[in-house]
Amino acid sequence: MILSEKHKHFLQRAAFGPGIADLRNDIDIADLMVGSSGKQSIDIVVRPQSKDVKTDAGQRKELIQAARKQVFALNAAWVHQLVSPDIRAREKLTFFWHDHFACRVRAPFLIQQQNNVLRDHALGDFASLLMSVSKDPAMLQFLNNQQNRKNSPNENFAREVLELFTLGHGYYNESDIRNAARAFTGWSFNVMTGSFDFRERAHDDGMKEFKGKRGTFSGEDIIAIILEDPRTAQFITEKLWDFYVGDPDATIINSLSREFFNSNYNIGQLLDVIFSSEWFYASQYRGNRIKSPVELIAGLMTQTGGTFQNAQSSLYIQRALSQVLFFPPNVGGWPSGTSWIDSSSLAFRLALPALLLRNSETDIDLKDDGDVNNIINEATSKKLDFRVDWELIAHTFSRHNEQETLDALEYYLLARETSKANKRIVQKFAGKGENDTVFFKKAFTAFMSLPEYQLC
Amino acid sequence: MLVSRRKFIKHSLLASSGTLLIPSFLKALEHPATTLAERKVVVIQLSGGNDGLNTVVPYRNDVYYKSRPGIAVSSAQVLKASNELGFNPGLTKLNDLYDRGYLAVLNNVGYPNPDRSHFRSMDIWQSASGSESSLTTGWVGRFLDASCNGCATHRAIELDDTLSLALKGDSMKGMAMKNPEKLYRSVHDTIFNDVVTQNLLNDVEGQSLRYLYKTMAETKSSAELIHQHAIARSSQATYPDTEFSKRLKTIAELIKADLNTRVYYVSLAGFDTHVNQQNQHQRLLETYANGVHAFITDLGSQLMKDVLILTFSEFGRRVTQNGSGGTDHGTANNVFLFSGSLKQKGFINESPDLSSLDEGDLIHRVDFRSVYASILEKWLEVPSQNILKRSFSTLDFI
Repeated sequence: MILSEKHKHFLQRAAFGPGIADLRNDIDIADLMVGSSGKQSIDIVVRPQSKDVKTDAGQRKELIQAARKQVFALNAAWVHQLVSPDIRAREKLTFFWHDHFACRVRAPFLIQQQNNVLRDHALGDFASLLMSVSKDPAMLQFLNNQQNRKNSPNENFAREVLELFTLGHGYYNESDIRNAARAFTGWSFNVMTGSFDFRERAHDDGMKEFKGKRGTFSGEDIIAIILEDPRTAQFITEKLWDFYVGDPDATIINSLSREFFNSNYNIGQLLDVIFSSEWFYASQYRGNRIKSPVELIAGLMTQTGGTFQNAQSSLYIQRALSQVLFFPPNVGGWPSGTSWIDSSSLAFRLALPALLLRNSETDIDLKDDGDVNNIINEATSKKLDFRVDWELIAHTFSRHNEQETLDALEYYLLARETSKANKRIVQKFAGKGENDTVFFKKAFTAFMSLPEYQLC
Repeated sequence: MLVSRRKFIKHSLLASSGTLLIPSFLKALEHPATTLAERKVVVIQLSGGNDGLNTVVPYRNDVYYKSRPGIAVSSAQVLKASNELGFNPGLTKLNDLYDRGYLAVLNNVGYPNPDRSHFRSMDIWQSASGSESSLTTGWVGRFLDASCNGCATHRAIELDDTLSLALKGDSMKGMAMKNPEKLYRSVHDTIFNDVVTQNLLNDVEGQSLRYLYKTMAETKSSAELIHQHAIARSSQATYPDTEFSKRLKTIAELIKADLNTRVYYVSLAGFDTHVNQQNQHQRLLETYANGVHAFITDLGSQLMKDVLILTFSEFGRRVTQNGSGGTDHGTANNVFLFSGSLKQKGFINESPDLSSLDEGDLIHRVDFRSVYASILEKWLEVPSQNILKRSFSTLDFI
């Protein structure tokens, strides 16, 4: 079994940690990136047809129930897909973009459509990604742009595009927002088919002033001007650095940002540079980043090879840890780092591996936000159904020398070495004389219950 | 603030075997209840958007009855309190507290540009932001930051399994626990306990990992302190048999045991009454009132002098009923304040004005952040401006 430190760190960051299949001859990082960034759309929800839909209360109720089920299914599908080896690098990056372009709507088709837009453009150029997301019906609905009309503007969409998606606070003023909002008037969508629709009559084609330039700007023009500002490249580079690397290094970030700008915002190229640079593998960046809940769950799946037997289990855990895919708390996205950690969330995260690997029930009740229509309040069974092939694991890590086996497991599971005291704790917990599958189950459980497992 | 090596060793010699080696353990013990009568706040959050108009009923108002032909609380059923307002029949016990001078009702509380989304409006109330911004910390968390830097996490306790935004500060966070026994068990679970007791914080490297170990140590030390207090004073008083009352009972036990927690936070859900609301709403209000009444009775008049209970909901509901025998999301609402030290009692401001609405919704007269400011400045005695990000005038109920 060969897994170099570099290879391991790459997998911790570009994906969700190494899996059993990654324990083979060391391969080239570049190959790995290509080999694991394939693409697979999520296609569970059928595009609605433009029909005259007159429904009565009973039919409406059925439709709402059906929609709820579909959103559960979308969540489960994405969780399942996140860890698929041939596409996981793109999937993790799609997850990054989902947080960056945070959006929360109810219609299953719109949710799915946006998710595929993010996935399609994840490794492409940011200009196309930005344009596609800005015209995406889910985003337009979430940020109320159908209500943004000539003579009656709604600035929400324009504000968030500038503040959260591109330039960041302080690099534009209120007048820019007003003018941008005017330029985006008419950007709407067909509620029946879920497609972008430009409403000419609602569009304000008058003279506008935006970031020092004057013209009868359209929404497309505004986006072009935003992209002409290197500040946009800086903003995105900083966020990608925070997600993939760690504490900021201004010099390196500035240099990456310039390259990113000059490459016409080529995201794939930027990531290639990051993953092939020596500094990426420096010890200060290894094992020092707190996993978000989704990363924790995906990591558990990847490293054990385990799968959830029902959508409710992974949904329950996402809710308990306050991160549910497709339901960011607001347009600013999710918190990060130590914000995920408080007494109770940490206690639950540390106890989670034992819960999952023993197929236990949990006794943690989840908060109901009071909204009868909020589908993520669905009372889910507290029995967590997670299956792992322990025979395969026992076969992969042979056990002839117990100390060596435990060392190998520590290396495989943890992003950084743990203390001597913890090694003794794991050894004691894993026990002796048990049959192989029991030993490995206990050893895995013990290592994953250490605080070091929360880091990548 | 790291304990110096010498002080650490001195304390560890005093500590008996089996206790934590991590210095942060000492924090829980380093802050005894500062004064005999340290004031406490109990925040009760009604989740879902409580229908204020059917809670505090304007039983003489024609507009009320005309707007709610199917669901209004009738003049015969209402528990008349003032000559304009009465209480929902489920609030008999609340009416008793009103009569005894423990209750102040503040009407028309809200904020400008109200948001009718549950999660947005609840975030606004919990973070004390305006509707135009999104904060990632809560007002109680920021109170901890301001008043209590480096002290134990149990200075604010939420009676739940997961921690709300309200208790998350920039550097300090409160702790969520449903009952002391469960918390104690969870930190005495083999691996958690072993890891905390057998590692030294000083030997842990890396900012993120240190934060995790520190949090584990704080959790364990708070859990043990709470456990000691809880078993010292388990309550003999009778409480209704509801989950909500159980949580209030736990709070009462901890208060009576003199635990140095300053803010307790507890929720009651189910108020999003869009459909056939009357029975459901009345039952919920009964659960609420009966619990609060048992709590106040248990504490007694002496302890209630130092306890202030705030009850709020993330928004009220629309004046006109909807087509399903219920009501939809609205705006301004009433807020209840209970204490043995109220300076203003009963209905302390004007009744809701049903004749001047904003597209069918009540218009707020009091910004909820003034309520928070009053509690922070006058009750908890800390400046409120930094905590609330702005200056808000205080009210005179305390």
